[in-house]
Amino acid sequence: MRFQVRFTSGKPVYLQIVDQVKLAVASGALRGGDALPGIRPLAESLRVNRNTIAKAYGELESQGVIQTNAGKGCFVKDGGSPYKKDARLEILRHDIDAAVVQAHHLQIGKADFLKLADARFDAFQQQRDQAPHE
Amino acid sequence: MADTPAIEITGLVRRFGRHDAVNGLSLRVQSGRCYGFFGRNGAGKTTTIKCLLNLLRPTSGSVRIFGMDPRRDEVAVKSRLSYVPDNVAFYPWMTVRDALDYTASFRAKWNRDTEQALLAQFRLDPGRKTTHLSKGQRTQLALVAAICPEPELLVLDEPTSGLDPIVRREFIRTVIGAYQDGDPGRRTVFVSTHLISEFEGLIDEFTIIDEGHERLTLEADTARGRFEKSLEEIFVSTLEPGGATA
Repeated sequence: MRFQVRFTSGKPVYLQIVDQVKLAVASGALRGGDALPGIRPLAESLRVNRNTIAKAYGELESQGVIQTNAGKGCFVKDGGSPYKKDARLEILRHDIDAAVVQAHHLQIGKADFLKLADARFDAFQQQRDQAPHE
Repeated sequence: MADTPAIEITGLVRRFGRHDAVNGLSLRVQSGRCYGFFGRNGAGKTTTIKCLLNLLRPTSGSVRIFGMDPRRDEVAVKSRLSYVPDNVAFYPWMTVRDALDYTASFRAKWNRDTEQALLAQFRLDPGRKTTHLSKGQRTQLALVAAICPEPELLVLDEPTSGLDPIVRREFIRTVIGAYQDGDPGRRTVFVSTHLISEFEGLIDEFTIIDEGHERLTLEADTARGRFEKSLEEIFVSTLEPGGATA
């Protein structure tokens, strides 16, 4: 996968990398067992500090998105979040609240909101289904 | 010992005649971090670095490297750091090979594998006379000589000014890769520059210095989050007359 970082976005660079990996997994561009680039080559190619990549991978690992195999590097995990379902729902609730607030200010009602959420779920599912298998 | 900062500058003043080149500067660089020291030409960057390396004596204030006084413990301090100045010079009669061997003879450690890899990467011919190298190649050779001893601290003073963009990028990649990857927790970089955009991704924390004074010290991510601008734009707006972030 190709990473892109923008220094003008106001978002910490390590979080940009975290979000790009999570997006790639959700859309099927990365699958369980796929290797992430090594810290050094990725740091060199993006010309960012290796601490930044290490911090991003650490965050992805603590969120249960990837796992580190000693001496082999980082791999996308096959499902299995480290959190219980309650905790996972709680994490998601914050993000949904933000979207609901935004919907309110954009005068998007509940029906349209749910329709859009439904469509996006399907879109990601479709992308995952169509992503080429190794 | 882990908490001893790599660099600690407290109330540094350096006067030349009636002119204060550095006037009450304080900063602290934690071990393992990349610290940007940003300022315009003449802001006091090189004077500060020369005080760190005991090439200049502070008028007042103190500098500590690894908790030691670079004047009293000069050998102990210098054995643990490397320095790349903005204008690199080698003895004119030496070849690339001679210059590296000469530097290696002063150092306790010298990583031959790194040396070979970097000479190949930069396509530096060991038999070439240093006088026949371009400015970019001289800087690359200085970087090889700085990295091979595997120092805990790499001090770079305007390392990329006057170089073409390809050489600049390769320089920064080498600092990230060959240098930083060796022992990440204990590889500290202190880089003075006004060419900020190229170092943008490398910097963990920075100080902007202007007319010998500190103007702004922040974590890079905090700064970008607060101002929603790149470090280079923050630098410019801090130093512009009536700058928004000043």
